[in-house]
Amino acid sequence: MTRITLTVNGRKHVVEAEPRRLLADVLREDCGLTGVHIGCAHGACGCCTVHVDGSPRLSCLTFAVQMDGRAIRTVEDLGGTEATHPLQQAFRRNHALQCGYCTPGFLMALLPFVEAQVSAGQMPDDDEIREAMSGNICRCTGYQGIVEAVRETIGDALAAKTEAAQ
Amino acid sequence: MKAETPRQIGARVLRLEDPRLLSGRARYIDDIRPANCLHLKFVRAQVAHARLLDVDTSMLADLEPAVTVFTGKDIGKLSMKSHQDYPEMQYAEQPLLAQGRVRFVGEPIAAVLAEDAYLAEDAAEMVFADFDFLDPVTTMEQALDPAVQPLFDHWKNNTWVERQMKGGDLQAARAAAAHVIRRTYTNQRHTGVPMEGRGVVAEYDPGQRFLTVWSSTQMPHLVRTYIAEELGLPESRIRVIAPDVGGGFGVKGQVFGEEVLVAWCAIQTGRPVKWIEDRRENLMASIHARDHRHTLEAYVSAEGRLLGLKADITVDIGAYSTYPFSAAGESGMAAKVMPGPYDFQAYEATFRSLATNKCPNGTYRGVARPSAVFSQERLMDDIAREIGMDPIAFRLKNIIRTFPYRNVLGFSYDPGSYVESLEKTRELLAPDFARASATAGDPNRRIGVGIACFIEQTAHGTPDFTRRRVPIETGYIAARLEVMTDGHVLIDLGLQNHGQGLETTMAQVASDALGITPDRIYVRHGDTSAPYSVGTWGSRGGPLGGGAVHLAATEIAGKMRAIAAHLLQAPVGSVQLGDNKAFVSDQPDRFVDLAYVARSALRNVDRLPEGMAPGLAAEASVDGPKDGSYSNAVHAAVVDIDLRTGKLKLLRYVVVEDCGTILNPLVVDGQVRGGVVQGIGSALWEHFVYDAEGQPLTTSFADYLMPQAPEIPMIEVHHFETPTSLTPLGAKGLGEGGAIGPPAAIANAVTHALDIGVTGTPLTASVLWHLAKTAREGG
Repeated sequence: MTRITLTVNGRKHVVEAEPRRLLADVLREDCGLTGVHIGCAHGACGCCTVHVDGSPRLSCLTFAVQMDGRAIRTVEDLGGTEATHPLQQAFRRNHALQCGYCTPGFLMALLPFVEAQVSAGQMPDDDEIREAMSGNICRCTGYQGIVEAVRETIGDALAAKTEAAQ
Repeated sequence: MKAETPRQIGARVLRLEDPRLLSGRARYIDDIRPANCLHLKFVRAQVAHARLLDVDTSMLADLEPAVTVFTGKDIGKLSMKSHQDYPEMQYAEQPLLAQGRVRFVGEPIAAVLAEDAYLAEDAAEMVFADFDFLDPVTTMEQALDPAVQPLFDHWKNNTWVERQMKGGDLQAARAAAAHVIRRTYTNQRHTGVPMEGRGVVAEYDPGQRFLTVWSSTQMPHLVRTYIAEELGLPESRIRVIAPDVGGGFGVKGQVFGEEVLVAWCAIQTGRPVKWIEDRRENLMASIHARDHRHTLEAYVSAEGRLLGLKADITVDIGAYSTYPFSAAGESGMAAKVMPGPYDFQAYEATFRSLATNKCPNGTYRGVARPSAVFSQERLMDDIAREIGMDPIAFRLKNIIRTFPYRNVLGFSYDPGSYVESLEKTRELLAPDFARASATAGDPNRRIGVGIACFIEQTAHGTPDFTRRRVPIETGYIAARLEVMTDGHVLIDLGLQNHGQGLETTMAQVASDALGITPDRIYVRHGDTSAPYSVGTWGSRGGPLGGGAVHLAATEIAGKMRAIAAHLLQAPVGSVQLGDNKAFVSDQPDRFVDLAYVARSALRNVDRLPEGMAPGLAAEASVDGPKDGSYSNAVHAAVVDIDLRTGKLKLLRYVVVEDCGTILNPLVVDGQVRGGVVQGIGSALWEHFVYDAEGQPLTTSFADYLMPQAPEIPMIEVHHFETPTSLTPLGAKGLGEGGAIGPPAAIANAVTHALDIGVTGTPLTASVLWHLAKTAREGG
């Protein structure tokens, strides 16, 4: 057992973990963050994506002990129980989810992409949006609603930026 | 029903279930964590076919903390049984843990229970099985070879069942034909692969003698009945709950041996038991689908009229018969639906299901129809090519135009938009046909346009299952509605929602009848606390579940109007419901809140009309019409193929569909698009490959390739809306249709692009490379 300290969604957690224990299991079982979903446990589907120090990372391919001292963010932190984050709201408006199992992984994988586009003041084309989600598998939606949600979120944010600048 | 609030049915209502799914607050099976739970890991067969001589668990004896292990010796006669009552069908059972023989890689041999999932997995690796190897049966040819030993000792060969369906005079059709076109088409073994695998948690309360089972299933009541019968428990003391389910697609529309065994283990050990399937197990041992070979012979007149069709249908069902659709279901369904949307009155089909040493074959979105439509629609194009007709003109010449239409097997088709859908597709695709013509002689690239025109029998119910003698036996869907003292509504729905938006669409349906807004309607589902129903599958939720909700809500609405009329001192006929109020028509100021009406019905019953019983609850069920209700669609694919490499790009995908009354266009379009993309996977990539020893070679997502966002185009969806008179709301089913068309449409587009008749799927990169090479050298 190894004692590690993780900052998860802004809160400090001290966890005793076997070296082989997956970050996904520690987040789900020790921290109670069951929005982290395991789809394949071999790094191919993206369901378990979380942020480590702001970057997307597959929590099924990460040992918890590697994360000592790191800051981790999960889907639970985005927009609370009502899912108020603009990207979550855009997912809802565009029917970008059906069963919802892959959804936390898509949100966590796409959020840094959305933020980077907005801060660069760019509207990506559909191919770029699709490429940004190429590490995630959704079996329900056929991806179309997700593409539309990303486009809409970036569009709204760019419009707000323009308005603020005027 | 008049209502002041805008009509909910047909509106693009955003889904009520989304916030919990988006926020990470949904509860899936792996999120069910009873205290003091044991974790179960299966030891599964590593060989396809062998006598099982011994299972050695001695190495587990001294482990700390202690583990529990069960093998086939411990379970008595517990097994999965799924027998269709056909005289020709050979009977077989699957013991819940193998006894004496294993018949596919992945068959459970032992169950190891430990304090956590990691330890269970460690311990499972210390169980050793002693096998005496048998020759595996891994191909249809081997299964059909009379010299090959049957999978089951008491069987006479490796055919589960072989039967015929026929109608009309095929000899006369053949005699009258100017053209006889014979082709063989194949579809590969693949399946739904939901992003969440299966999982079961069971807890037994010995004081109450009550068993609670959570399972990631589409059919909780059937799981309850099977467990009760197999374990000899009263069904009143079992509750099965499907929590949030991370995709099903038919894969979870079976009762699995694991569900029964985990429940049994919880009773045996006196502790909660949890099993979460890992992805490797899911890919090799949950349920596979398709794996069809069809030989079709069409008889066509000189004028291009289809006179008759002969079909020989073979399906590789694998090692066991799955419950409740059985080993006969898939091939029988293909034979039943092969006549499709075309007008001809001579048909003869022989269908057979074969036993091989592979994972059992069961239901996946479309159930046999993607394969039947592939063959039917490839054949239509092959005939058109052979007799020199335009494929759409050939279809229009043979399409059914008058309704109700009695097909060659006696099934009655309710009205649809068959002709309109074909003509609309032709109009939408005109620019693409022009683009295709422009590349016809291009040495480097070809564009092709392909269509698939099909119908889908939906909303089928008891009469259909009785006719086919399917173990499921019945098909009704029930719902119970209860208005609470505060005017909020609880719907206990006999369906299970795993992405279809039922929490929203069923609230819309209830809202229109009750005059209560959807935000006050809570839909509880996936729980045997709801009235008995067979679950969510077969494109039946909207038409049958929606119908049941509508009928129960209408009954309650009648009582609310009677109470309101009494309270308002107005004639019942003048009272309308809407916007959470009951009001007198034309006098909107004379109203009473429905919350007040509800409280009067349940608490302040002194306010009720004299003699009226308290309560505001009703239950209703709706079964499928005799022959179901037929949705129709045309799919069109436009492909661009690089002749040098075979690389295929999907330029465009168009759907023109008709599912009758649309309950919620957001949900309908989502179902269609999601189905289409799964169908694109069927057409191009998804394939469970076995080697000659029966070893599965596709047991991870690195090998089993599913559609990912970059390869997929936007899917255009167009609607016709022909309500059916056969269901309460005019709705037909639509959950599966999207997945049915793509293999045929894409294969026809490739055929059109390369001028080579495609005979099977998947059209993988290597297949396309060979086709392109042939086209290049031929052209």
